[in-house]
Amino acid sequence: MESRFTETHQKLSDDGHESECDKIVKLLDLMIDGEASTEEQSYFNTHIEECVPCFESHQKQKLLKGLVCGHLKRVIVPESLALSIKARIQETV
Amino acid sequence: MSEQTGKQLSKEEKDARFEAELLPVLDPLYNFAYRLTLDEDDANDLVQETYLKAYRFFDYFEQGTNAKAWLFRILKNSFINEFRKKSKQPAKVDYSEVEGYYNSDDVEGEGGVASTTDMRTESVQDLIGDEVASALNALPVDFRTVIILCDLEGFTYEEMAKILDIPIGTVRSRLHRARNSLKEKLEKYAKSMGYNS
Ligand SMILES: [Zn+2]
Repeated sequence: MESRFTETHQKLSDDGHESECDKIVKLLDLMIDGEASTEEQSYFNTHIEECVPCFESHQKQKLLKGLVCGHLKRVIVPESLALSIKARIQETV
Repeated sequence: MSEQTGKQLSKEEKDARFEAELLPVLDPLYNFAYRLTLDEDDANDLVQETYLKAYRFFDYFEQGTNAKAWLFRILKNSFINEFRKKSKQPAKVDYSEVEGYYNSDDVEGEGGVASTTDMRTESVQDLIGDEVASALNALPVDFRTVIILCDLEGFTYEEMAKILDIPIGTVRSRLHRARNSLKEKLEKYAKSMGYNS
């Protein structure tokens, strides 16, 4: 699976270009989640240096993740919850 | 199952260990429960149930292993097996239809490479920030789940696979679908606010 990404990619035709961008799209999540291998990372980074749509997709995907982890408000745990958990555990034999 | 705890802990010791190792997860666990049930009372019940189950099975919990992932897994199973039945939230999505995105061509659609929507400017971000919760809440629960686990709680794909009892490939495809869905909802909002024209 990894070897696919080690080949130096060449933009020979529209078809070739398209499938290259398709591969990049499939790597987007891995990249923003820090799950891409070193090979995948360099394949990805090389591509987005030259390809504006993929560069923008990457920006957008990062933004999306940032919106969730940066803007989603956390709910406050009711104070009674920890107490009632402890109480119920103590009752449990 | 065989009993293999080397020494027998007294109840006090067990309780103290339980509280020390598992109660620190209360905050993320409650938030997860809330995002699943979208109701504070339900989240409260679900978290209590999770801790009681964890207590019952605490002998099988290996000290020093990932307590957070373990509790999240118990909570998610409780939610699916028991809770969802009595919850007001309908369970409506059949994922067999949507998991296979790696084999299909149409997935990226407008949410993908070709989109020109610009959500990058500060003002839009601030406005959209308030909408993130409602966009997320509008997603089917399985989509919501992977986004919460990944983006809010920072679990790895491998941990998510264990929590959800699904292969990593399914984690990836579900996350991808979930993000496309979320993106679509947020973009609709951005457009409705006039930021895309
Ligand atoms: Zn490209």
